[in-house]
Amino acid sequence: MARERNPIQVIYLAERICGICSFSHIVAFVRAVEDAAKIEVPIRAQYIRSLVLELERIHSHILWAGVACYTFGYDSAFNLGMLLREKVMDVLEALTGNRVNYGVGTVGGVRRDLTPKAAAVVREMIAFYRREFETFLDVVTEDPIAKARMRNVGVLSPEDAVTYCALGPTARGSGLRVDLRHTSPYEAYGDLGVKPVVPQDYTGEVYGDVYDRFLVRVMEVIQSLDLLEKIVDGIPEGPITWEPKLPKVLASLKAADGTGWGIIEAPRGDDTHIVKLTKGEDNLTWWKVRAPTYSNAVSWPLMFMNQEIADAPLIINSIDPCISCMERILVSDEKIGRSEIVTKAQMMEKCREKTRRLMGA
Amino acid sequence: MTCRPEYVKECKCPDEVMNCIRETLGESLLDIELRERWDGCPRRVLYRDIWVRFERGAYLSLVDRLRTIDFLHFHVMSGNDDGDVVTLNVHCSLFREAGEGHRIGITLSVPIPKNDLSIASLGSRIPGTEFSEREMREMLGIHFEGLVNTNLVFLPEDWDEEIKPWRRDETGPSPENIRELS
Repeated sequence: MARERNPIQVIYLAERICGICSFSHIVAFVRAVEDAAKIEVPIRAQYIRSLVLELERIHSHILWAGVACYTFGYDSAFNLGMLLREKVMDVLEALTGNRVNYGVGTVGGVRRDLTPKAAAVVREMIAFYRREFETFLDVVTEDPIAKARMRNVGVLSPEDAVTYCALGPTARGSGLRVDLRHTSPYEAYGDLGVKPVVPQDYTGEVYGDVYDRFLVRVMEVIQSLDLLEKIVDGIPEGPITWEPKLPKVLASLKAADGTGWGIIEAPRGDDTHIVKLTKGEDNLTWWKVRAPTYSNAVSWPLMFMNQEIADAPLIINSIDPCISCMERILVSDEKIGRSEIVTKAQMMEKCREKTRRLMGA
Repeated sequence: MTCRPEYVKECKCPDEVMNCIRETLGESLLDIELRERWDGCPRRVLYRDIWVRFERGAYLSLVDRLRTIDFLHFHVMSGNDDGDVVTLNVHCSLFREAGEGHRIGITLSVPIPKNDLSIASLGSRIPGTEFSEREMREMLGIHFEGLVNTNLVFLPEDWDEEIKPWRRDETGPSPENIRELS
């Protein structure tokens, strides 16, 4: 599909790779194109890109936390998560006109400016979450049943997280201080002082389990609020595109020749796009996308070792996989040489039944 | 050589890493480039990538040399059918945990001749490469020596493995293999 389209047209394909982190894919893609074509992005556009990326991270992490709670039968926390998530989606709609697939990114900048009115909406959202999100934090970190379901479940040691190349909250949940916003700051992140969120900074120890991955994501929501405040306070004046006239942009891209690499810290881990532009060609020569799940899924077998089937949904969910149609697993018992298909519904029931068992219900 | 399950804390600057690459590759080096991105306000360089293109014979020796500097974090492999050769790009990074602005992205680019489309597997050194090597095998037909699991990752189980979806020659998909979406 992409080989028959020019880089501007491919932006809209990139945006549809994921419904949650659509803007992350756009930014990784356009940065790869900008790398290949040697295009420099105006500073104000970099701040706006960082702003939308952080809004997207909040959206993704709250959604994930809610779904994780649903997985083990904590429906009230799930409902609270869904309720809280609405606020950031409203803000994205106010900024861009859309709740998903915002249509904001383009090669050399962004397509929507941050108006004073939109900045006020972001500030109001920050105040809202600082007030309301603490409740969610307490609900899921203080509840003994939630902790019992997540602690020592799906462990990934720091050593395995390194060698199996785990990413994002999955790697940070194992105690690795890895975050591209820190070690390879892009867009406005060099000005924002991002520090990787790791469990040992909050609990004093690293288990590398589902609980630690949960904790990292919840604390990253709070971190994102601080980053958004810095962005809105510090955004410089200036143009929002390298070149506003689309025919000129396309002409520059047609004249470019090279391979570009764009890599950013998406909500699930680093998102990588590689693009080849060939001089004289309107369309992309080739395009490679690697979403974070591709790397984090390599660690699943390690996390599953010596765990119950009832915990499988929670472990699968703990890397926040982006696999739209996974609805069954094949369970093999090597000792007795038997394999069995377990459906998504059966897995979920086992997972929720274990919670009821722990509660004595 | 076994994996080093930790990162070094004292990192090297890009020039030092490039010199190390030049020394290791010698005459196998075809091309090397440092790319720096100017970001933020005020503009400064905190994002760096090294692109190195070299002959296949030096693949493992370069990977092993880089792994003495830091655990070579693997991102993904990309590739393309470039006529007589298939180009394999291995996207990695050094100093992923070494502090603000210290990570260096490294792309190892290796042209592999189609009449001997094989290269060593990195699986024993970097277990995280498995999915990518299987993907490059099924999409471009690259044989990775030492890759244990050669099951398909993305293509369906009944796929005719003689057809390599990313190839642009006679082994690539023919029009009847392609279902156009509206």
